[in-house]
Amino acid sequence: MTRERALILVALFAILGAVAWSVRPNEVTAEGRVDRITSELRCVTCQGLSVKDSLAPSARQMRDIVAQRVAEGRTDEEIRAEFRASYGDWVFLSPSATSWAGLMWLVPLVAFAAGLAVALARIRSAAPSVAAPPAHEVAALRERVAREEALDLPQTDGAE
Amino acid sequence: MPRWLRYSIVAGIAALVVVLMLAFRYDPRDIRTGTVGKSAAQFTAEKLDGTGQLSLSDYAGKIVVLNFWASWCPPCKVENPALIRVWERYRTSDVVLIGIVFNDSTDKAREYVRTNGVTWPTVQDGDGRIAFAYGVHQPPETYFIGRDGIIAGRHIGEITEQVLVNGIEQLRAQAAR
Amino acid sequence: MNLSFADIGAGALRAALPLAIWGIGAAAYAAAKRDGRALASARWAALITFLLVALAALAMVGALVTHDFSIVYVARNNALETPLFFTVISLWAALEGSILLWTTILAGATAYVAWRGTLALPRLATTALAVLFAMCAFFLVLVTTPAADPFIRGEIVPPNGNGPNPLLQNHPLMALHPPLLYLGYVLFSVPFAYAIASLILGEGGDRWLVATRRYALVSWGLLGVGIVAGSWWSYAVLGWGGYWAWDPVENAAIMPWLVATAYLHSVMVEEKRRLLRSWNLSLVIATFALTILGTFLTRSGIVNSVHAFSLSAIGPLLLGYLVAIVVLSVGLLLWRMPMLRDSGSVGAPLSREAVFLFQNVVFVAATLTVLLGTLYPLIAEALGGAQLSIGRPYFDRVEVPLALALLFLMGIGPQLPWHGASRATLERQFTAPIVAAAGGALLAVATELGGAFAVLTYALAAFVAATVVQEFARGVRARRALHGESAGTAFANLLRRNGRRYGGYVVHLGIVLVAVAVATSQSKTIEAEQTVTRGQTFEVAGYTVAFNGLRDVAEPQRDLIVADLTITRGGSEQQLHPAILFFPNATQAVGSPGIAAGPGDDVYTILAAYDTAAHSWATIRVLVIPLVSWLWLGGAVVGLGAVIAALPQPKRREVAHPLIEAPATVGD
Repeated sequence: MTRERALILVALFAILGAVAWSVRPNEVTAEGRVDRITSELRCVTCQGLSVKDSLAPSARQMRDIVAQRVAEGRTDEEIRAEFRASYGDWVFLSPSATSWAGLMWLVPLVAFAAGLAVALARIRSAAPSVAAPPAHEVAALRERVAREEALDLPQTDGAE
Repeated sequence: MPRWLRYSIVAGIAALVVVLMLAFRYDPRDIRTGTVGKSAAQFTAEKLDGTGQLSLSDYAGKIVVLNFWASWCPPCKVENPALIRVWERYRTSDVVLIGIVFNDSTDKAREYVRTNGVTWPTVQDGDGRIAFAYGVHQPPETYFIGRDGIIAGRHIGEITEQVLVNGIEQLRAQAAR
Repeated sequence: MNLSFADIGAGALRAALPLAIWGIGAAAYAAAKRDGRALASARWAALITFLLVALAALAMVGALVTHDFSIVYVARNNALETPLFFTVISLWAALEGSILLWTTILAGATAYVAWRGTLALPRLATTALAVLFAMCAFFLVLVTTPAADPFIRGEIVPPNGNGPNPLLQNHPLMALHPPLLYLGYVLFSVPFAYAIASLILGEGGDRWLVATRRYALVSWGLLGVGIVAGSWWSYAVLGWGGYWAWDPVENAAIMPWLVATAYLHSVMVEEKRRLLRSWNLSLVIATFALTILGTFLTRSGIVNSVHAFSLSAIGPLLLGYLVAIVVLSVGLLLWRMPMLRDSGSVGAPLSREAVFLFQNVVFVAATLTVLLGTLYPLIAEALGGAQLSIGRPYFDRVEVPLALALLFLMGIGPQLPWHGASRATLERQFTAPIVAAAGGALLAVATELGGAFAVLTYALAAFVAATVVQEFARGVRARRALHGESAGTAFANLLRRNGRRYGGYVVHLGIVLVAVAVATSQSKTIEAEQTVTRGQTFEVAGYTVAFNGLRDVAEPQRDLIVADLTITRGGSEQQLHPAILFFPNATQAVGSPGIAAGPGDDVYTILAAYDTAAHSWATIRVLVIPLVSWLWLGGAVVGLGAVIAALPQPKRREVAHPLIEAPATVGD
């Protein structure tokens, strides 16, 4: 194994370890629960801010309601149900995964996958290649190109 | 680009345009709330004039019109004369008009009552629980509760005498059947 | 004859409209018949149109400064007490004025293309000029009809106006943010016009692309800096402690920017390898269409947002314009598609062009997500009557993975050669950056940055930074070897002579700063709220906040209640003054944060509530936001990189060689 490959492997392991370390479950405080729930609720007197971010009196009152329910030991779902009973689904800032609107969570994935498929198809549809030049020639050419690109040798520019 | 992708992009753009055209039908400020058609939440609150408490249950069996207002709300001032006239018309009948203060100090609310001639019972909703229970967004909002205690309708924004009377008469006709 | 500003302005606009319409015909005729006189006529029409529209804009400024309340726009957006600075910039404070500004910039761009562009590529530029005239005509129709006419007179002249929206007279950034945005939006009309011209004329080549490369780069840069400026305004003025809320207006600005970024990169693939022709045309059309869609969304009144413009007839007109543009351009593109076949293909998956392709996919996916997320509530209501919201929790969760993918591609793209690379080359090139990435990840852990995404952001940011440093080092080394320059001179020459490439690297560094700022501020902000009386203190994240009292301040256009705070940490001390502002004509008060900005933490203080009766207590909310200043710095670096990339290259000394002819002039 070359030195480079070894370094790369060690580095990748370190990154994986760091990510694993960061996702270890934190203990959830009551304050944290309130923050999490209120960040998903829409402030009804504002233009799209969450209850957590908003300073409007109505938002602060809603935060108090959530805090009280959390202290009473209610589950997230019960608190959400209470808000839904008063304001309807409009008060939630993201669609719930189990509703029709929940399909929105798939949009980026589908868009990315579809685009990737098209891109890969384009890459695969390569014209039949001419016999490749020997490796050392290619390497020498690459070095030269790299050097020339770093300098100001004429590049093929069109008219401005 | 594959043909299916080309056509689906064109179809997508066409669909987008249709949606945008349809969107003109709706007023973005007309946001529905979750409590219409459900049982009106019970509450007990301090009356603004200091004469004790008022509960929704005091008016069970009557037609109740709840009006959420605030002293900092200009449309509330604009709709006030309509409320005064309607109250004069119905105060001796089985209809009750109750004003509920929304996010305002008691002093400012009392001042508003005095200067604008509010003659119907008004209560302070200090912690906003009543507004929350009814799903109020912004003042002024008016809720119509039938004799059966179900919220029959909700009006957003300043209300006119016509809408008030229509709402009340509809509820009276309903109950008489 | 007593001419008022309104007369001058309205008259100028109404004179410009027929000129613009004339210009369409003159330019089209000049292009079709290669008629020099028609071209001259079109040129003068363009210049005079611009001068007339600019005159109208100046007339509006004059009307604002002289407080001419007979004009409805002035009465709504200006008051006698408004300070001069905010009076002048209320030219773009509301709908009609902002459309007037847009029209001015568009007319300016049209005039510039008419006089400079047509010199280089006569036929292409003249056709593009016809397209630009058509756009000018549309916007002139807007400003001369009740849809967006800024000079409409009111029936009564009020003694005093309403004054600008309270949010718009708080911060000098209002002078910068809208003009930058509009410059970015409008300048993109030029690449679009050239693209359409190229399609109309049936040119299969790249000339339209090369001719408008600098326009695209400049408008991208201005739009990007304008977005960051808006973000800064949101942070400093709106008082909620955040800088991006995925509000529809914010989304309207970022969508064209994302697609424009994809375009700037895939343009390089077309230049180097003559590929992706139809794709690039689609990207230009999409970028321009998104600018119009964004304008439509924020001005039509169908979406509620922070920037709610008043409802007017402009909505259906803008929608019609958008439909016309999309139908025309997509139609042209489909018609000319057979001519736009690529010669060759991308080939290797591990090549720079492939990476650019993947990067385009990610940008388009990100844009589609923002578009659908912004429109979904509209769609749901239009189709089924359901009312729901899609806000920050959705967008944050969904865009972060895509952003990370972009960071990754940003690191590997510049390092991969065109046509492909071997495994050995890759290993050699990427060892140092991957080790740097590990360093970034470990730094994230060491500073207790929570969350996998934040750790990955640090790792990828370090990765990209290392690749940029590597590229600069390589370039400097090569110059030193071949020209014997010192390191400093070599570095400067890299930027000067190879501005596109190295300016691009500077932009990437700016994005790295932004990514680190976002990851750190999102995951490590500490918040605390306390109700205090005079003299009381409380602690937040190592800072001691002392409340010194409330005081009333009266200014000509507003009243304030100000909380005086002293923030101490270690030895240093700072005075902050969060306030609540009361404007005479606004129903609700506006909060104004007190911010102690710094290269490390920002201490962000908000006066959340206070004792209205006796001023004895106040509720102070404090946020300690780390590294948010790097966001503004990153934006500035991105702008700097764009400038470096856009600057013309210094002329190389021509060495005359007896056997080589002088280069042929660029004819038509």
